[in-house]
Amino acid sequence: MKLLRLPLPAAITGVALLCLGVGFASGLAPRQEAPFPHQDHAGLFPVCAGCHQGIDNGDVEAMYPAPGQCAGCHDGSDLRRVTWTGPSERVSNVRFAHGDHASELADAGDPATSCASCHADASVGRMAVTDATQLETCWGCHAHQRDDHFADAPAAECASCHVPLAESRFPIERIAALSAPADHNDPDFLASSHGVAAAGDGDGGTRGVDASARCATCHTSDRCVACHVDPGLTEIGAIPAAPLDMEQPEWASAYPTPASHETISFQATHAPEGSSGTAECATCHTSNDCLSCHVEPAPDPVEALLSRSESRAPGVHLEVTSPDTHTSAFFLSSHSNLAAADPGTCATCHTDSYCAQCHDGPADGGYHPTTFVSQHSADAWGRSSECASCHSTAAFCRECHQESGLVSQGRLEAGYHDAEPLWLLRHGGAARQNLESCASCHQQNDCVQCHGVLGAYRVSPHTADFDAEAAWAQSPRTCIACHTSNPLGGG
Amino acid sequence: MPRGDSGASARRVRLGLGALLALAAMPVPGRAQTLGMRGWAGTTIQAVEMRPLAQVAGGCIEGEACYRPVGEQLSLIGTQDVSLTAWGFGVEGLSATLYMRGRAGMGSDFVWPRSGDHFDALLGYAQWIRSGWTVRLGRQEIRSGLGFASFDGASAGWRVGTWHVEGYGGRSLARGLRDPAYKALEGIEDFLPDQNVYLFGGSARGRVFGVTSTLRYQREILADRSGLAAERASFDAATTLPRVSLAGGIDWDFGRQQPGKSHLTASSPFGGGRWMASVSARRYVPYFSLSTIWGFFEPVAYHEAMARVGWSATTSLGLWASGGWRLYGDTETTTVLRALEDTGWRGEAGAAWSFSPVWTVDGSYRVEWGPGGYLSSGDGSLRWSPSDRYTLAVTGTAFQQIEQYRLGDGRAYGAVFTFDAGLTSRVTFVGGASMIRHSVEGDGVESPWNQARGWSTLRIAIGRDAGRANRMRR
Repeated sequence: MKLLRLPLPAAITGVALLCLGVGFASGLAPRQEAPFPHQDHAGLFPVCAGCHQGIDNGDVEAMYPAPGQCAGCHDGSDLRRVTWTGPSERVSNVRFAHGDHASELADAGDPATSCASCHADASVGRMAVTDATQLETCWGCHAHQRDDHFADAPAAECASCHVPLAESRFPIERIAALSAPADHNDPDFLASSHGVAAAGDGDGGTRGVDASARCATCHTSDRCVACHVDPGLTEIGAIPAAPLDMEQPEWASAYPTPASHETISFQATHAPEGSSGTAECATCHTSNDCLSCHVEPAPDPVEALLSRSESRAPGVHLEVTSPDTHTSAFFLSSHSNLAAADPGTCATCHTDSYCAQCHDGPADGGYHPTTFVSQHSADAWGRSSECASCHSTAAFCRECHQESGLVSQGRLEAGYHDAEPLWLLRHGGAARQNLESCASCHQQNDCVQCHGVLGAYRVSPHTADFDAEAAWAQSPRTCIACHTSNPLGGG
Repeated sequence: MPRGDSGASARRVRLGLGALLALAAMPVPGRAQTLGMRGWAGTTIQAVEMRPLAQVAGGCIEGEACYRPVGEQLSLIGTQDVSLTAWGFGVEGLSATLYMRGRAGMGSDFVWPRSGDHFDALLGYAQWIRSGWTVRLGRQEIRSGLGFASFDGASAGWRVGTWHVEGYGGRSLARGLRDPAYKALEGIEDFLPDQNVYLFGGSARGRVFGVTSTLRYQREILADRSGLAAERASFDAATTLPRVSLAGGIDWDFGRQQPGKSHLTASSPFGGGRWMASVSARRYVPYFSLSTIWGFFEPVAYHEAMARVGWSATTSLGLWASGGWRLYGDTETTTVLRALEDTGWRGEAGAAWSFSPVWTVDGSYRVEWGPGGYLSSGDGSLRWSPSDRYTLAVTGTAFQQIEQYRLGDGRAYGAVFTFDAGLTSRVTFVGGASMIRHSVEGDGVESPWNQARGWSTLRIAIGRDAGRANRMRR
């Protein structure tokens, strides 16, 4: 039997290493029902490398003896047969290569390291092989603490010992049982600091390095895109995705509100500046969120976001709500002030058609309360709101007043203004105070009948300060309505 | 205004339909943008029964004619509104908006205002928005510190960062109407030049140190360039400070060479947001086109100070009150017998209380006293909303209205019933009926305000994202 021709110590050493430690690097471990009884074979294998000769050079095929080699002795006659069929797949996320490790130790001045240094109980003997997966063995040198060994370790050091979770082949139970570093319990961790940590220093092409070194140890990128709407972040790309056959826990998507969104002016000033701003929005928002308020066709930054149907993550799911400004009892009567100053803000959510529903003479009342029409005259006199914002004073008011019998019908008598004796002698002041009300019943010619140069009284309607030259320069036709010719020329 | 101008209406109908067909015929490539549409259609029927006044011989003042109500008359009008915005025509950022209105009297004893104008294209423009540019072509509106303007023409705006500049121009349309003034006001307004007016304007808007402001200039000239119809500019600004919001604006009328309207309002929530208070100062002077003689009669401005306060005691109880005092400018006129009033004031207070998840009661009282009119009015409502989709309300109202320069006074009482039903997520049906009865006092004219009204609107939302239907009520 070839195995018996190996030097015994080398064979024993090799078997021990293969059974206990090799799996770290190779992902393989003995599939036997019970640990290999190294001690029972101590006399047969003088060296570990006899069975595990691939350990030093990384030759996976040679790390364990072939199953048939056991049958050389365990042939069922002298010795019972064994059922070992070769090393089974080993689930681990530890990055370990014996050859490299030995070299590093040698470089560090510890060349005497042998297989037994880690894999055997020194007090018993070389073949008293223990399970090297007992991590205390590692920590004996690496000075880590079991439960929080990642607490103080620099982010980049995770990857020194661990492969990404996506490469670990951890079962779902083991993924779910992974401990969380202390900083994950920080109230700001989800909202902000996890992104900062993942980005690392972020500059000089190193963005995402920390993510790949630290986050990837316990997370696949699938965890990121369970919340992140935009999967294109460099940090997310640096974290390997889970293989298709890797079962993962169900993650609840959470979108904590960032502090920046809580400011009083956020709603008015949230428009992202440049593509970097849009990218930040894309962390939590789909374009559907924007379109819950913004009217389509949407602004450029909205078009840059993924839609809900395109995103793996659900996004925040914003619902349309009125801005704080709109909830005031006085908003409807005062909204014109804001609209005049910043029409762009209105246009964010409202189309012209929306405004036109009221401002273009609504068919169903709209702005005014239901009892308004019968008592509108006081409002009209006082102009608490500007009628002309929606109505043509000449057409809308006069036409209705005419049909209601309120319009002067050619005679300028006091009949309508019957509560005012000598109305004609007093009407000038009232007209200057509320000329729009006059015009809501009277046509211009009603006035010209007395005020025009051809009129009955030729009473000037102008004040002493009236700039006739300017008026003539701007609108000579209007001057002629009363004066029949250029008044500056004596008309 | 021409009534029954069937030729013009037919042309506009053809134009509107043509625009729709043109949009429908535009190519729609696969990826660039999916075809989308948003809009609504509303069918409204309104009715009023009232007793119009008519001049009768043997008047209230000896030797003068007098106005007396004639028999009850009924007027009915039907209005059909259709508003559509569509996009995805193969050019990214391109959309089209149409807002059309048709109306017709329905067997009326008297003519409902504007019922002779059977069709209006209120809006009809193509818009392209991309890379900071907004370009519009067609019938459009501008609502600004200068008020309301509509025109057939083009506008272009460019946004960079927080700055936005815009220019526009085209054929001006009469305010609140959709025709050139000389057509829309034919027979209503004398002396209007028989020609188009062209409107040009521009604005610059920006945000500096947290203050958003807009500067606008607008000029309207007669087509033959023989004169101006208007030349005005406005400046409006708004900002939100940590505890107070400010909004103000002023406009200047170059035509009359004097300031126009101006206002400044400061609003602040306090008391943990349960209180809202605002104070404002305002100057109001009417604006008239230079094409009419009205502005040359030199109307005076009034200045007003106003304060408002609202209190949300709980989420189900709110109260508000406001008061204002105004002072009119010197009219420079001679008064006979007694001087005109030159001050006025107004006040209002109200409350709303949702005393159960489905019942709400609200009420308000308003008083106004000033040159021209006096009003003392109160109303109370009881609303029942068994679900988000249905609301029934009854309102009682009583008011006393005195108009200084005309008829006698009296009291009026009325009741209003309204309903608001969301039949489906896209179909709503709202309507109501009201009745006002006038109680005559002294020598007042018999029943000038007696009237009964009814109205209903069936509204159907069309296309996607049609959620922001206008359901505002003051």
